Amino acid sequence: MSNEDVVLKVENVHKSYGNNKVLTGVSFEVRRAEIKIICGPSGSGKSTLLRCLNLLTQPDKGHVWLEGEEVTDPTTDISKVRQKIGFVFQEFNLFNHLNALRNVSIGLEVVKGMKKDEARKIALRELGKVGLEEHAHKYPAELSGGQKQRVAIARALAMNPVIMFYDEPTSALDPQLIGEVLDVMKKLAKEKLTSLVVTHEMGFAQSVGDEMMFMIDGKILERGTPLQVIQNPKHKITKLFFEHIAKLYMRQVR
Amino acid sequence: MVWEYLSYIFWGVPWTLGLVGGGLALGFIIGLPIAIGQVYGSKGLKAALDMYVWFFRSTALLVLLFLFFWGVFPAFGFKLDALICSIVVLGLRTGAYQSQIFRGAIESVGEGQLIAACALGMSKLRGIYHIVLPQALRISLPGWSNEYAIILKDSAICFALGVQEILTRTRYVVMATHEPLLPYFIAGALFIVLTYGVTKIINIVYEKAKIPGLVGRM
Amino acid sequence: MSFWEAFLPKIFEGWVLTVEILVPSIPLGVILAIVLALARIYGNKPISLLAAGIVSLIRGLPLIVTLFIIFFALPKLAIYFSPYWSAVLGFILCTGAYQSEYVRGAIQSIDVGQSLAAQALGMSKLKEVVHIILPQALRRSLPGIANEIIYLILYSSLASYVGNQEIFAWARHFNSLYFRPIEIFLTAGLIYISMATVATTGFKIIENKLRIPGLEVAR
Repeated sequence: MSNEDVVLKVENVHKSYGNNKVLTGVSFEVRRAEIKIICGPSGSGKSTLLRCLNLLTQPDKGHVWLEGEEVTDPTTDISKVRQKIGFVFQEFNLFNHLNALRNVSIGLEVVKGMKKDEARKIALRELGKVGLEEHAHKYPAELSGGQKQRVAIARALAMNPVIMFYDEPTSALDPQLIGEVLDVMKKLAKEKLTSLVVTHEMGFAQSVGDEMMFMIDGKILERGTPLQVIQNPKHKITKLFFEHIAKLYMRQVR
Repeated sequence: MVWEYLSYIFWGVPWTLGLVGGGLALGFIIGLPIAIGQVYGSKGLKAALDMYVWFFRSTALLVLLFLFFWGVFPAFGFKLDALICSIVVLGLRTGAYQSQIFRGAIESVGEGQLIAACALGMSKLRGIYHIVLPQALRISLPGWSNEYAIILKDSAICFALGVQEILTRTRYVVMATHEPLLPYFIAGALFIVLTYGVTKIINIVYEKAKIPGLVGRM
Repeated sequence: MSFWEAFLPKIFEGWVLTVEILVPSIPLGVILAIVLALARIYGNKPISLLAAGIVSLIRGLPLIVTLFIIFFALPKLAIYFSPYWSAVLGFILCTGAYQSEYVRGAIQSIDVGQSLAAQALGMSKLKEVVHIILPQALRRSLPGIANEIIYLILYSSLASYVGNQEIFAWARHFNSLYFRPIEIFLTAGLIYISMATVATTGFKIIENKLRIPGLEVAR
């Protein structure tokens, strides 16, 4: 494994809010084409971690490198770094005043300086990839949750990122809408789009995940293939967590 | 030399407060019944009240002042008193604005309150008086303190009728001494203190009168 | 020449001047409002405090006092404004300060996620504000802005007291000559009411054109 294969390198990231220590030293690497899953109980710092990696939240300590460039270096142009990361939020965060097409094209127009026609052509293509070309002229308020999240994914994809960050992408969705979003994510994973996914969806993790990291109390407790971590965890806490998830999942299915 | 005149300007404060207090009081007496009428009244009554509100919210204050002072008052045979006329005009106008504040507050109290009161056996009027109004009036306080700030500034316009309030006196001093800087500075300072000082007091009253859980429209 | 033959043409002239005063005041007032709101929210401590101070100062003063200070007091500091520009400047400051409160409230009501998404795409703060925040905030503050502009139209009569021969100045002039207050001031009043009504209707049309489903006033 050569170093060129490493897209994202995270070293010893810490973050506290006052006395609340949210991240207590997180380190890992994501290789190209790898699908890495992060899971853990709420409050374990998963969302904060993702936001620290593209400096939406400023970490207190630690270093992050994206394709060899140090993100945490204050002299780095963070806008350029962020363009290479496709971020999908739990609450979608679609721009309310723009229709679906413009939501996807605005990054290209405003950040990458593309001409309007070209940007909208690309945007329409990305919407097609997530199955929503017919809804291109609808506004976020006119879309269902699943549709909104798919537009959000298209918006992130349009920027041609080297890695995707998914921050619990299905947690805010009604159960029947989760499937359409997971299908899109699975398709992208099969196309080898490097991804870092924070999720509770164990089915998704097991089917496309390459490595899973279990986080608790601000640090990574266990890592391994999804199968290993879910079925053969080394720690009792991990075991309890997955049993709990399994129960919830069973309840939903029933 | 200007300093002697400064106390003259300060004596405009009671007149200003008189205008404001009189206007607000009159506005309250007019505004609250209008609000009640607009929420609980018949269609015809609502239409008439809507017209009143619309008229007094769409007219220029200066025009109203002159219209009443030179036209309406004499036509009805009333004495030409600048202060009374100003208070009446201010009151009619703020009554229109206050009615909308009260109306919003009454509507936000929620139907259920009045229904519960009637279920207890109270007449509609009693229910409004004992249950709806105490809540609505508290909710109205923030909007009402805004109204105070507005009337305070409108009171200055009454200089046009010669009422002896702060601005009239300031202009007199400026004309007499040919020194506009200090008098206008004083006048400005007075208005700022009266605006923010009293608004602070109303906020304190609001906090003290607040009922926990009573969500109001701000 | 009868009263009306003399009065109406002059009132019309006055109306033209009123419009000439309002035409620059309104858009420049809106721009000032946006600048002040942005300064208070995104500016550093000194800029933010300065903007807050300006807004508090102007909102604490009656408009007529602001006009008098500009027209009568500033000349003593060797700053001279003509009657027209005194009125325009006073109006811009007054309406700008009041409107900035609406704009500020609207910006603060925008969900933080909008900012996060903009930043995640790589937008600089400036691009974020221009392309994502302001388009939403201005739509939300439109009712408040419309309200303030209607106020301005109705209070424009104050311009007559700093030397502008507009509607109200002519009304007073004719009243002292002919003493027919009811006709004169009702006419003047009618003109102001119709301007306010035209403006209200205009804003309703603008609001409808700018309407976006889901972007109604935040609760």
